[in-house]
Amino acid sequence: MSASLDQHAASVGNRSHPLQTWQILLALAFVLAVGKALLPPGLVRPPEWMILPFDDWINAAFDFIRNDLGLVVVTRAIADGIEWCLDVTGNLLYGRNRWPRIGPVPWSVVLVSMTMLGYALGGWRLAALAGGTILWIAVMGQWRWSMETLSVILVAAPVSVLLGLVTGVAAWRWRAFERVLNPLLNIAQSMPHFAYMIPVVVFIGVGPKAGAVVTIIFSVPPMIRLTLLGLRKVPSEVVEAGKMSGASQWNLLTRVRIPTARTEILIGVNQVIMQCLAMVVLASFIGMPGLGQRLLQMLQALRIGPAFEIGITIVLIAVTLDRLSRAWAMRKPVHHNPGTSWARRHRLWLIWAGLAVAAWLLAQMVPYFHIVARGQALSLAGPINAVVNAFLDVVSPFTEALRRFLIVQVLIPFRDAILWLPYTTVLAVVAAAGWALGGWRSALVCLAFIVPIAMTGWWDRAMITVYTVLTAVTVAALFGIPCGIWAAGKPSRARRTLLVCDTLQTFPSFIYLIPVVMLFGVSDVAVLAAVMVFAAVPLVRYTVEGLTGIAPEMLEAGQMNGATRWQALRHIRLPLAFPTLLVGFNQSVMFALFMVIIAAFIGTQDLGQEMQRALSATDVGKGLVLGFAVAFLGLMVDHLLMRWSDRVRTGNRRRQGAA
Amino acid sequence: MQRKACLLAGAAALALSFGGPAMAEDSSDPIIIPIHNWSSQIVMSHILGEMLTENGNSVEFVSADSQAVYEAIRLGDVHLQVEVWEGAFAESFDAARAQGGIHAAGAHDAITREEWWYPLWVKDQCPGLPDWEALNACAEIFATPETGDRGRFLGGPVDWLKNDHERVEAMDLNFTVVNAGSAAALWAELAAAERNETPIVLFNWTPNFAEAVWPGEFVEFPPWEEGCLACGHPADGYLKIAAWDGMQENWPSAYAILSRLNFTNPQIAEMARLVDVEGLDPEDAAIAWMEENEDTWRAWMN
Amino acid sequence: MADPVIRCRNVWKAFGPDPAGHVRAVEGGAPLNADGHVVAVRDVSLEVRRGEMLVVMGLSGSGKSTLVRCLSRLIDVTGGQITIEGQDIGALSERDLIALRRRKMGMVFQSFGLLPNRTVLENVAFPLEMRGQERGARIARARAMLELVGLAEREDYYPRELSGGQQQRVGIARSLAIEPEIWFLDEPFSALDPLIRKEMQDEFLRLKALSERAIVFITHDFDEALRLADRIAIMKDGAIEQCDTADRIVLDPATEYVARFTAGVDRARVVHAGALIQPLNGVAVEGPPVASGDTIRVLARRLIEDERGLIPVADASGRVVGALQRKAALDLLVGEAP
Repeated sequence: MSASLDQHAASVGNRSHPLQTWQILLALAFVLAVGKALLPPGLVRPPEWMILPFDDWINAAFDFIRNDLGLVVVTRAIADGIEWCLDVTGNLLYGRNRWPRIGPVPWSVVLVSMTMLGYALGGWRLAALAGGTILWIAVMGQWRWSMETLSVILVAAPVSVLLGLVTGVAAWRWRAFERVLNPLLNIAQSMPHFAYMIPVVVFIGVGPKAGAVVTIIFSVPPMIRLTLLGLRKVPSEVVEAGKMSGASQWNLLTRVRIPTARTEILIGVNQVIMQCLAMVVLASFIGMPGLGQRLLQMLQALRIGPAFEIGITIVLIAVTLDRLSRAWAMRKPVHHNPGTSWARRHRLWLIWAGLAVAAWLLAQMVPYFHIVARGQALSLAGPINAVVNAFLDVVSPFTEALRRFLIVQVLIPFRDAILWLPYTTVLAVVAAAGWALGGWRSALVCLAFIVPIAMTGWWDRAMITVYTVLTAVTVAALFGIPCGIWAAGKPSRARRTLLVCDTLQTFPSFIYLIPVVMLFGVSDVAVLAAVMVFAAVPLVRYTVEGLTGIAPEMLEAGQMNGATRWQALRHIRLPLAFPTLLVGFNQSVMFALFMVIIAAFIGTQDLGQEMQRALSATDVGKGLVLGFAVAFLGLMVDHLLMRWSDRVRTGNRRRQGAA
Repeated sequence: MQRKACLLAGAAALALSFGGPAMAEDSSDPIIIPIHNWSSQIVMSHILGEMLTENGNSVEFVSADSQAVYEAIRLGDVHLQVEVWEGAFAESFDAARAQGGIHAAGAHDAITREEWWYPLWVKDQCPGLPDWEALNACAEIFATPETGDRGRFLGGPVDWLKNDHERVEAMDLNFTVVNAGSAAALWAELAAAERNETPIVLFNWTPNFAEAVWPGEFVEFPPWEEGCLACGHPADGYLKIAAWDGMQENWPSAYAILSRLNFTNPQIAEMARLVDVEGLDPEDAAIAWMEENEDTWRAWMN
Repeated sequence: MADPVIRCRNVWKAFGPDPAGHVRAVEGGAPLNADGHVVAVRDVSLEVRRGEMLVVMGLSGSGKSTLVRCLSRLIDVTGGQITIEGQDIGALSERDLIALRRRKMGMVFQSFGLLPNRTVLENVAFPLEMRGQERGARIARARAMLELVGLAEREDYYPRELSGGQQQRVGIARSLAIEPEIWFLDEPFSALDPLIRKEMQDEFLRLKALSERAIVFITHDFDEALRLADRIAIMKDGAIEQCDTADRIVLDPATEYVARFTAGVDRARVVHAGALIQPLNGVAVEGPPVASGDTIRVLARRLIEDERGLIPVADASGRVVGALQRKAALDLLVGEAP
């Protein structure tokens, strides 16, 4: 009781304090905005002297490294090694005319193998999923593109896993290395996909090998993180038992630590595979063949039917790979009873071998089971087109009106307002937010992120990005949070919703563009819709998790005090779930940023568009500057929201302690 | 079947290495053809692919960025590009040529032009066209919700790197450039405008199927000059074929076919039409075109 | 008596930014836990001989687990010296330390510390594998160890497929696989439920009897300590409050803290006849002697029925070593202070 009184007194004390620094900053921002007309131009737009030619410097540095130091020779040698691997998988999977020239493996053999793999890892359901996916791909005539995509993943994922594992172990072993690595990983994971592509194009060129390299680079960070996490989580007693067994450092690592961290490491593998898939699809922008390229072409040609089919294929592949690798990660070893025969112990292998041979023989006799020729493939494109067109005829007046309304009444005024703001106002607001949530330190951190953006000369573009993300996340919150609250009402519903969110998050981001292009055509609103849907998923997810993760006794206490459902939600559940919700917002903003950049190719006017131009012109400096700008925006929001979440969390705890 | 072909190719390669340079045979390595994001290029690439396959070469297609491709050709990552448009790619092409490794293997008869363009119905609504000053004077009739008072110029995808933004600024035009995401998006907008005869000005080019579907005219800007931002694009641009320097040596007969390739404006427009209007897959469009024009392409084979 | 196998002199262990400096400060009278430092082991000296079992008893946070980790050099001490068979283990190189563990040490852990990816058999064989023993030999040895702990049927199982008690049997089998001369057990039965714990204690006593080892056994359970120990060291705040036999701890607690522990104990179950004897000093006592190794509780009926004031007590060889005052023994039996 007395504790809560003290706290109350303290907060009153705070309030009676003349003015908090952040309030002063906010007031300053307001004054700057109102007095815009009176401001010298240098306070309205970043003045010329402030803008530094970062891009020229980066270009010069890259030129130097690439040509003068001759790094291009090294990178191209590495790329040639990767290309050799790609040739092998390419030959095996889709009969590319390269060594070892024995492919392609008939689809029926792949079907049998994947089904068996699914069965071994997760029983009949997974077998059906894996088999069904392969069957769909083959019968729908998407074999070649899918195999082009998979042949890259088959090379990129193991390389990433290996790189991630080695780096992760090094970071775990040497603290100093980890300290250097951590901020790099933070930036790397908030850089948009395109920013990775440009340097790769410079050093390696375009085509499948460049795509593979960019895929590898992009998918390594989560592996490093999870390796580190796994190694940290190994119970100390297991390590001590290893030491007491007389294991050397190397033995401890290879036979004790890594095997014990198996689950986390395999979840890392799962992450790598999913990141690879997401990137492989996007890498079509730099000449990666396969599903992504096909999807890009079909979307650009506005051919919704085929695009939809490819979308289904990508989704099926994503879900299958995700479930398979997760089942592998979660799989626990099971003993055989003593005296089990060899054949029985290896029953699944034997069945697989038998079926594979049978399928291979079948494929030799009936070419259909080897490769489904173009003419033999089924296609749903016609019916899908018809349905979509019929649907569009019904909704298009509505979507058209919606689009017009959004553009004229909401988007344009909002965008103009944001662009109208003097940049000093924005800086002051950011500093105020930082100060309010985390004191002067946070204010400085935030400024350190946003001032460089002003110095790049891309201020207006960055503000358009901010506006798109803000709008999208706001709208996403408007329907995502109620959705989450509704879903959290019942445990079974919550579980199902989480499963749906999980599945949606495995989809490569590119997929989200298909339905929006279908509904809104190629326009601002389509971009916004895609970003919104993509950003809503984490919001729903964390709302559900936040609301269902509350300790039951808190709710029971509320019930005993006679709170109605609404009161319980308003006064107990939402405040307690708030920190989790903030984490959801954080992820939502990250997702939105990524999506905004990807959506550039359906026509935006923000950083993403410039980034795509930089990609076309192979302008590394510009590309990286833009990439850093996006990453900094993301990191700033991350910093603010996480600070806020921590604050609320400790506040909640204190309040609980006082109660 | 395929395997047999591989074996034969392998044997041929073996024979080559024993027989020495006198027997100039094409290498069994695949010839890599880049695909870009406009229809005629894709169809033409597939036509070439079919021809080379018939010639006994092995062919692979990769999608590539239409600007970055010249650097890739120079390095030998991809081996040729069948449509080098002067207005769009001369700069990248010349830059790559200056560094060596890439050359023009031939030129089509087709004359190319890329420019701001309007369908004929616009002409009634904005007197004085095709002069650019007249266009600028009635800019507001092209205004859309997105652009406010200023007229909208619908540009191509950003990766075509047209200097539209720079031109608007240099000539102080009353327009805002809005980039369509793809060529198809351009045609979709144009078709939508046709329904109500809404004024529209957009990026277009010749040879292209659009001339047959929607009659229209290019806007006349001050004539093209090297490095001039306040000028138009070249009015009679070339359409060349780019090839990797190593191609002639590795695949002499394929190179010979490539250098004989020569399409005209109507032929190229027809290829685009098959895809953009008929809705064929590019592969099917290539075969359809080849069936129609067997004499044309047979003449370029050995 | 033989030289001690483990000897530990004035051992200190502190955690924090400057452990050594902090230990010096504490020795000079500074408070124990300050400036982010924690003293886990404070000036501990003890010895363990071959064939002897020392139970270190203390509540959680008393430093007993840290102490055993110092003894096995899983962690380095901050001050003092630990010798094993006369060798200062703090001075051993990494390689020598590994060799020492491979030859001489076994350890059992509270939460078992089994490798989840290996079968029971492979877990038991792990120390032998590290020692470089050839595969056939180590499998045979591991099988024998599993036989010994009664898990021969389960050799192909994975740890997670076993109950807690069974997992700890695997842990014990693994720790004994190399025939260690020194056996550390860190709260081996604390994670088990009471019934299993009793069963495992019996099992442990059986295994202990099989060969002569120096054993350090950690527990927070005073009853367990009394039941198993030759000697008990009671720890508080990192220091040893008292290190003595169970009888002496119960009969003569050195500090208030130890006395509080012993207060609730049924002494009759702990104290042996031998601990209560008075020297004979020529006084003749008659009648049949009682065995010095029996507890008072065991002798209860005889004590009640016997009418002599002094009862002779004989050691294991039957020699009378002293006399037991019947009244004192009965006082102890009914729970009154002697």
